[in-house]
Amino acid sequence: MTAPRSLVAIDSGVATTAVSLIGRPENRWRLLGSLSAAAPAAPDDLAAVLTGRITATDPQLAEAVGLRLEALDDLPRLEARTEPPRTLAVLGASRRAVNLVEGIAARTPWRVLPASPETHDPREMTALALRADVTALLLGSSEPPGPDEGSALDDLAALVAAVAQRRPELHVVLAGPITNRAAWREGLGDEADSIGDRIHQAPPLRVRSGPDEPLREILEGLLPRSSDTRFTAVRAAISLADVLARRIELIEIGLDGGLRAIASPGVADQGPVAVAVRSARAGLIDADPEQGTVDSVLAWTTGSLDRHRMGDRLRDLRSNPWADASGEGARLRLAAARAALSRLVALTPELSAMPAPDLTIAAGGVFALAPGQAVALAIADVVRRAGATQLAIDHARLLGPLGTIEDPDERRPVVADLADDLLAPIGTVVVVGGIPTVRRRGVPVGSIRLEGDSTATSEHDLLPGDLAFVDLPPGDRALATLTFRNVVRLGRRTRRVSVPVSGGLAGVLVDLRDVPLRLPERRDRRRAALAAWGELAWPGETA
Amino acid sequence: MTTETASAPGLALVARRQLVTGPIEAWFPLGPGDRPFVAPGQAVVRGAPMADRLRDPKTVVVPGPGSKGPERPGDRWTPPGAPATQDETGVPSGELLFRSGGRWRIAAADSSEPLDAPFPGIVREVRDGIGIRLQSPAKGILGTEVLAGPTSGRLHVATGPDGELRASQVDVGATGAILVAGARIDAETLTRARAVGVRGVVVAALGIKERHDFLASEKRGRAGVHGLPPFAILVLDGAGRRPIASPIMAMLEALEGRTVAIVADPACLVVDDPDVDLPDPPRDLVRVRSGPLAGAEGTWLGLAGPRRFPARVMLEAGLVRFGERPAIAVPLGDLERFA
Repeated sequence: MTAPRSLVAIDSGVATTAVSLIGRPENRWRLLGSLSAAAPAAPDDLAAVLTGRITATDPQLAEAVGLRLEALDDLPRLEARTEPPRTLAVLGASRRAVNLVEGIAARTPWRVLPASPETHDPREMTALALRADVTALLLGSSEPPGPDEGSALDDLAALVAAVAQRRPELHVVLAGPITNRAAWREGLGDEADSIGDRIHQAPPLRVRSGPDEPLREILEGLLPRSSDTRFTAVRAAISLADVLARRIELIEIGLDGGLRAIASPGVADQGPVAVAVRSARAGLIDADPEQGTVDSVLAWTTGSLDRHRMGDRLRDLRSNPWADASGEGARLRLAAARAALSRLVALTPELSAMPAPDLTIAAGGVFALAPGQAVALAIADVVRRAGATQLAIDHARLLGPLGTIEDPDERRPVVADLADDLLAPIGTVVVVGGIPTVRRRGVPVGSIRLEGDSTATSEHDLLPGDLAFVDLPPGDRALATLTFRNVVRLGRRTRRVSVPVSGGLAGVLVDLRDVPLRLPERRDRRRAALAAWGELAWPGETA
Repeated sequence: MTTETASAPGLALVARRQLVTGPIEAWFPLGPGDRPFVAPGQAVVRGAPMADRLRDPKTVVVPGPGSKGPERPGDRWTPPGAPATQDETGVPSGELLFRSGGRWRIAAADSSEPLDAPFPGIVREVRDGIGIRLQSPAKGILGTEVLAGPTSGRLHVATGPDGELRASQVDVGATGAILVAGARIDAETLTRARAVGVRGVVVAALGIKERHDFLASEKRGRAGVHGLPPFAILVLDGAGRRPIASPIMAMLEALEGRTVAIVADPACLVVDDPDVDLPDPPRDLVRVRSGPLAGAEGTWLGLAGPRRFPARVMLEAGLVRFGERPAIAVPLGDLERFA
């Protein structure tokens, strides 16, 4: 049997179907082309259009990889799929307890509906747990139960036991000392044995929250995961980190959820690893965008929409995520992406505390369509970490499908071949922290000097609070030397530092704004600041 | 490439909007305390009561066994020795939720309202406190969302696809009707329609403000002494104003005067009249669903390839001819097709 010379990679998202054709014309896999359309477009239709374009543009290449329209069905496929999030009802005996457990559940792909006796009466909590779209129930309690939980915990244990009897398809996760309570045992009665396989015991909650992995693992274990894009993309990122010997941060914002992961290459005997958080809360727009969502997006916009009109726009964006992707719609999408990314960053403080990665990959349709400078600015606005990182986009949405190759040893060479093709370089983001306050505006606090192999050496003054794009074309590399009058933070505290930078669609973005970013409280001033920065990313486009 | 789009190259890349679904399996959610009257396999006619829904339900704590011996969560509870709905002490009957500390919590209310079948069908599933599934060979014209409901009534096209129904246009002549209200409707017209006994509204778009106002009004009305008659809003497109798509308008016009229903899951207008032939949309018809041309309809001419659009965004585009004007390139994501 001969090895395949081409294959089809499919990423079937909630909003987008993306198809890539990968071929092996000689001894190396190459990305031949990719095409996306609004879900649920048929991958075969996309592959047919793509094949037609490749065949028309380079028939010899198509011949070399055996790419023919009539033989598309015979090509091997790598298919990743994003499933809509499932709903988890989270119950706690007090607002404090439910906040603790909700904070953990929010760091999983579950859509979380919290309830406690302080917000819901027993009938409302039962109604929530009985809702047809709720597929699992999480009851959390601290160990030992706090004084605010004592009286209500028995009621909740009995409520959950009753619901578990009424809904034989429901999974129940108990975090804390629930099963030893008389109310739980009496609530289950004779059915304790028959529903035992649907009851999952997790460690109790800690007041000062410790590692939450055990509970997250249980919750994620209740979800189908074999080919879910947000699982497989992390696998591919691990292989990519190993291949490039770089620390990689993967940030993905999808319609129904988001992913943030940092993958590190293997060192000595230890293989490559990743820390990842997937969250439904980091989706671009809620299924039912309400005031909180509207306000969070409005906070990143420069236009004059009021809450109602913005709510209408977000509802339409939610129902037609592909529509209105140009003009003012493009700005709205990136404002929504910033709001979603802010939620994701807030959910992942441990990842924010890590040093800046060598390479940041932005993934998801919202980033794939936008201009490079606008993407760089959106990421820099929200992921505030002093340091320098290359920025690229998974433009063909290949990471998910490549991660479906189960065997890491088999996946690694494919990823190694495709490493250059699967990433579209945006450039380098250099965020400088700890810039001292200056009294006189317009006085430079430092300078940046770019020395490249193929580009002329250039030098720019840097102003406090400055944001500047310095041209460096895709494929070019340079050494950026930043010199400051005072000590600043850029990976470490220093006055002078040299960092290698690489070019891209946006060049090098030097960001001297506050870390973390502090925006004016007054709405007009906030908008003015956002508009001034936006003018750099969307030059010549009116807000 | 699928055969349906083989004659129109590239059209398969345009998002297909499904207009009609069928057979219908409608889901009617129930809450704790709601009391189903039907059983799986049972046939129901339009208007037959399927369940009794509690109005303004509450949690009541009751001391112990009721009138029916062994009790389990989900069972009905009636006070001992008083099989009626309410005993002399004012303790109502209700549904058992759970037992804690030797006392049952029950879901109960002072009054209830019937949930009537909006179309004839066969009950496929009944789950106390969760919902009822009703199946029918009927067809459904799909929308994006239904508020309130279910409901049924005769369909009346009150305005054109791009029109906006005003409160002054709604009078008692529309009692019992489901009105096709055009591109958008305001809160005042909805209130007026409710007041004169209109059973439902079909509209292309409903803004978030009107949505909030309506839901708040609905909540107040349901908690009121007399309750509210059935009413539902079927939103066909979304929140931003746009005309009703011509293929949908053609279907609605074909249904003028016939009895239809609105259900929330799936969100659709149910047509259970087997004599009705819903017109098929033209194969090469495409519609702009957002942006400056939102609502415009034209003829698909083919793929235009990647094009640059405002805000320096590169998007796959298609060539579309609107009326007699020259063809223009429109982002594929802004388009929808129906066939």
